[in-house]
Amino acid sequence: MPHRTFIAFIMPSLCTMLIFIALPLVSLAYQSLFIEAEKPIRVVQTCDPFGCHLESRVDSQALAKLRAQEPAGRFNGLKTYTNPSHLAFADVARIWRQPTGIASKLNQLFELPLYRALAFTLGYTLIVTPLSIFLGFGIAAATNTLPDGLRASITYVTLLPMIVPSVLGALVLFWMIDSRGVIGSALAYLLNEPDLSLKTSPTLTWVTLFVYGIWQSAPYAFIVLFAGLQSVPKDTLESAMIDGATRWARLRYVVLPHLRPLINFLAIISLMDNFRVFEAIIGFNAAANASSVSLLIFEDLRSSDSPLYGSAAASSMLTILCIAVLLLPSMVSNWKNFKLKAGA
Amino acid sequence: MADARLVNLGKRFGKTDVVKALNLDIRDGEFIVLLGPSGCGKTTTMRIVAGLEETTSGQIWLNGRVVNDLEPKDRDIAMVFQNYGLYPNLTVYENIRFPLRMRKIPAGEHRRRVLAALEMVELTDFADRRPAQLSGGQRQRVALARAIVRTPAVCLMDEPLSNLDAKLRLSTRVQLKHLHHAHRSTTIYVTHDQTEAMTLADRVVVMNRGLIQQVATPRVIYGTPANAFVAGFIGSPAMNLIHGRIGQGVFEASGIRISGLAHAGAHEVILGFRAEDASVIEHHCGLSAPVYSMELLGDHSMITFRIGDAFVAVKAAKDHQAEIGEIVHIAVPAGACHLFHPITGDRISP
Amino acid sequence: MPLNFHRTPRAILFAAAAFMVVWLLIAGFPFVWTLWGSFKVEGDFFSYQGWIDAVAGRNTLAQTGHLVTLGAYRGVWIEEQFWKAALHTSIVTIAVVMVSLSFGSLGAYALARSGHRYAYWILVAALVFRAIPGIALISGYLLPFFRLNVWGYPPTAALVLVALNQPFTLWLLHSFFLTIPRDLDESALVDGCTRFQAFRLVIMPVMWPGVVTTGIFSFLTAYSDFVVCSMLLSDRNQTMVPRIVAFLGTTQETGRPMYAVAAVVSVTLPLFVLIPFFQKRIVNGLAGAVKG
Repeated sequence: MPHRTFIAFIMPSLCTMLIFIALPLVSLAYQSLFIEAEKPIRVVQTCDPFGCHLESRVDSQALAKLRAQEPAGRFNGLKTYTNPSHLAFADVARIWRQPTGIASKLNQLFELPLYRALAFTLGYTLIVTPLSIFLGFGIAAATNTLPDGLRASITYVTLLPMIVPSVLGALVLFWMIDSRGVIGSALAYLLNEPDLSLKTSPTLTWVTLFVYGIWQSAPYAFIVLFAGLQSVPKDTLESAMIDGATRWARLRYVVLPHLRPLINFLAIISLMDNFRVFEAIIGFNAAANASSVSLLIFEDLRSSDSPLYGSAAASSMLTILCIAVLLLPSMVSNWKNFKLKAGA
Repeated sequence: MADARLVNLGKRFGKTDVVKALNLDIRDGEFIVLLGPSGCGKTTTMRIVAGLEETTSGQIWLNGRVVNDLEPKDRDIAMVFQNYGLYPNLTVYENIRFPLRMRKIPAGEHRRRVLAALEMVELTDFADRRPAQLSGGQRQRVALARAIVRTPAVCLMDEPLSNLDAKLRLSTRVQLKHLHHAHRSTTIYVTHDQTEAMTLADRVVVMNRGLIQQVATPRVIYGTPANAFVAGFIGSPAMNLIHGRIGQGVFEASGIRISGLAHAGAHEVILGFRAEDASVIEHHCGLSAPVYSMELLGDHSMITFRIGDAFVAVKAAKDHQAEIGEIVHIAVPAGACHLFHPITGDRISP
Repeated sequence: MPLNFHRTPRAILFAAAAFMVVWLLIAGFPFVWTLWGSFKVEGDFFSYQGWIDAVAGRNTLAQTGHLVTLGAYRGVWIEEQFWKAALHTSIVTIAVVMVSLSFGSLGAYALARSGHRYAYWILVAALVFRAIPGIALISGYLLPFFRLNVWGYPPTAALVLVALNQPFTLWLLHSFFLTIPRDLDESALVDGCTRFQAFRLVIMPVMWPGVVTTGIFSFLTAYSDFVVCSMLLSDRNQTMVPRIVAFLGTTQETGRPMYAVAAVVSVTLPLFVLIPFFQKRIVNGLAGAVKG
């Protein structure tokens, strides 16, 4: 296809991606170097039936003028990155210099907002990704063993956790694990702890969120791996059977190697998606006990008096950096694969 | 109806030269076959003529114009694809009509032309069917009809018979030859099957590794191959080729001796002769060898011998009896022998 | 048929069946439960007495005189004017699907038929784009949108959704286009079409199953979206999912959590009804995207 035709075809798609994905990255980098202008304060005298007194108030007129003059705010350089809500260099240094043991130091470290969020996000990503793929494979293998006629119904029910909007699925489960909901009260009864609440303990909240993540991601792994199971080369399987391989050996030497590229693909996509965990925390109303990097950005933007754009931008840049680091190993190995195929 | 010229055509994919400095003149109304093994560059050459590939170097002339920069739709060509390329959601009638619509032929003409094309490929009753409802041979004929409906300057065919079973291939080949005789459109036909080439072509272009080996009529290609490659590619079975030494008109190799050759000079050489030119005789006359295998082919038998490293085939009568391992005597008349250079493979004239 | 179904040991069959039953319960029961509970009053669904109430509906019977009630639904749809949010969701969703598919099929066709190296690099770039969290990008949009005065309007949100969804759309459609033999394009070109005519008249009629599948995914993305719409739409123009979340805050105060339950069921029920019709396509689409 001549270059000109190619450009004409891809222009609309490429433009939207460049404007809404590539360009914002530049804008974010720029924005992260600024923080909000300091709000000009005016002292004002207010009188009410109880007497007159002085009040400090934000001078909104002057603020508007200031904003018009310097829309991005005050230049802060990289200080936003190092401030206590982000990398918190000063706090980390202080904790490190303390004479307490490693465990205590780590505890204090994870009370800092960004590190707390990172801890949960990484934990969620690194636990949910493999477990959801594992569960998805289990469902696929079980479906493969059962009669064909059941396939459609099994697929329908299995798809539900994935198709339902993420935050709403979390809500549904949230109501069930509420101490007055069916699971909450059942658990309290079984464990003989009438005051059990899954929402108050941070550990239990984390576990709940992890379970939710696996529940929600397994269907996708199921679909991909089930399709993979259908395409296992029959000839190789039959040779293995004639060669005397047991079921387990066939799984290990024929099926799993065949599924490996699919599992690699699933791992990358899941890593990407799980790192963005956010709607689950909203749905479970668990922001007090669990925080994710995406949630940090969201909270900055929703900050009550005025949105903290600079802070959000810095968090965004840090998040993108983390994802790049996470994905780098698999991208590199896949690039080598692609190069072989494309060159052929 | 038009002529075509390929001048110094070259095509490079990555680091490989798939077509090298190709020069070819095609006369108006000629049926040219590009013949060669896979990877020889024949399909690439045809796709360049069609405009589906760009050349790395060289020019393409259609009807006296350089068409290098023209899109396929602006060249006056039609093409029959190996997998037919029929439009699955259109009926046979609409499939054949499509090029007329696209090339803005006046609508009043459409019906007449489509029906004429349908009649020529004998598919008039199938006009309202979809391609999915047709057999392979019928689809192939629809593709053919779509190509001729416009009476293009050049008609291109990319191995159109290779997806048909053997019997259908034969009958369609016969129909193609008849069609071309009726229509006389300039045709470039690509195939790896030398039988198709020999039966259909006005001239055959034998290609190997991007280079033309020989351009000539089938008769000349068969009788006077330009090099050992052409000799070894054409014919069923291919020409027997034996490495040996010639001196004073006598060719010698392990187990074989042929005298009376009209060639002065003494050196290494490749000797070639065709299976049907040799014959089985009673007494030793230069070639005797044990039978390696014997095949009955209906109207004749084919006996294969092993001479040194080469397999040599000789045609015999259909009721000839011979056991494997039995020593048989063969006569190879000197006049039927061809000589080729042992390294370049080029023909050595006497 | 699994390869040797008749010879599968009973033990394995039994284990597979037991596992499947457990999984299907885990996957499906929460939705059934919520659906059933949405027709009850708060006292039953969030009952201190236990789950029997939710099933039998004791409080519902006491409060309304029937075993089931539409009270929550009426409250959310009429009193809280949820129908407005539904309207906005429809607008955004339809816009996203149409624009996404148009841009995506043109781009994916070019990528599938290009034959040049840079097509591969564009696809890789798209994959990288997909990795970036939406909320991170949104924090970059807000200031420019305010300044350009386009914040809060459905078309803006729709365009952002289209852009964020393009990488996946391109990959999916590209893998579909690759399954169509080149012969078809080339026949059309030789028959006298420009590239665009070949695309429109010959390839798209054959491609429509792939387009439908991709459309389903675009629809799901737009319908289920929370991040983009909650940040980019004003309260007046809000879509369903962000509205429910906003709801939750107020219902704690006003004490009408059942409204939220009814809203959740209202939003998810259409999906449950539609899935069987599109199940095969969804499955094939997801599995196919991997190959592309």
